[in-house]
Amino acid sequence: MIRYFRLARPLAALAMLLAASAAGAAATSVPTYALDAAKSTLEFAFVQAGAQNKGRFPKVAVNISFADDNLAASHLEVTVDVAALDTGDKERDDTLREEDLFDVAKFPQARFAATQITKTAAGAYEASGSLLLRGVTRALRVPFTLKSATEQGRPVLYMTGKTLIKRLDFGVGQGDWKSTEWVGNEVTVTFNLRLVAAG
Amino acid sequence: MQVRNTTARWGSVAQFLHWLIVALIIAQVILALTAEELHGMAKLAMLARHKSVGITIFMLAVVRLVWRLINRTPPLPLTLKPYERFLANFTHAALYGLIFALPITGWIMSSARGFPVSWFNLFQLPDLVAKNRQLYEAMQETHETLAWTLGAVALLHLLAALKHHFVLKDTVLRRMLPFSKIP
Repeated sequence: MIRYFRLARPLAALAMLLAASAAGAAATSVPTYALDAAKSTLEFAFVQAGAQNKGRFPKVAVNISFADDNLAASHLEVTVDVAALDTGDKERDDTLREEDLFDVAKFPQARFAATQITKTAAGAYEASGSLLLRGVTRALRVPFTLKSATEQGRPVLYMTGKTLIKRLDFGVGQGDWKSTEWVGNEVTVTFNLRLVAAG
Repeated sequence: MQVRNTTARWGSVAQFLHWLIVALIIAQVILALTAEELHGMAKLAMLARHKSVGITIFMLAVVRLVWRLINRTPPLPLTLKPYERFLANFTHAALYGLIFALPITGWIMSSARGFPVSWFNLFQLPDLVAKNRQLYEAMQETHETLAWTLGAVALLHLLAALKHHFVLKDTVLRRMLPFSKIP
């Protein structure tokens, strides 16, 4: 009994320390966000026959947990349903889905997974990671900005950014389509995502 | 040959514009008909050329109209009957109208389809209308009908020129030919 009494004070101290460290952990915990698909866009722009053309990927899944003060534990993964692509022209969309371009039968999804997020300026970040597209994985850096807000009592992040990829790096363009005379190699991908804190 | 038109014949600028536009219209028909048989990139390339050539015709048509307005026009032979005179004027007006209407309907058609027009990959033209599938379909039909109309009117124009040359034996055809001598 006496022994337990002697331990009471150190135990209490330990309990307080644990509580304090838990509180400290709470400050750097990394909340998870869910994509508000209705208010988000993922678009791509390309040159076709000398003119700027645009398309979008309406089906996107975003897996993100983010804390400005704990970027090391923050996480970002974007999965795109390539087959759902929409350039506003059915004939062109069907062509894009074919084997020589996106080959959606074989590669229905594209995925960007960030391995590191770094802060580049106030509200500006860069996610470096890899993009898997048409079975090819390549390193990609995606700069983006974040604006946080509280809407209806919930934290909301507005994530916007733009990155340039070369379609031929991923084999999007086989046969005739390897030529960049009529369809440019460079594709600008822009995103405007509304992310709502989960739970 | 004179640069400007005279009462006896067309000058070199008018002749050059006339024959260049003839050649480009023939090229347009070939490009359009070829494109219809193709798909994928080959079709894209053919239609892009068709659009570039079409815009070229449009620009040349503007130059041609301006040149016509600031030049005298060699008069029609006085021997023409009133209905022939009307037919000639009508045909010429229709041809002018068509070399404007065809590029413009093609341009509207491209804009409405959502495929902006570029001129030989050198510069992109503004969209004339917002994207609109119904308008695209209407314009495609109009463009095709106008193309057939141009074919018919051009044939009439050609037959008339041949009649002037071989039947009436006047200078109407020769005054548009670069190497012919006119007494």
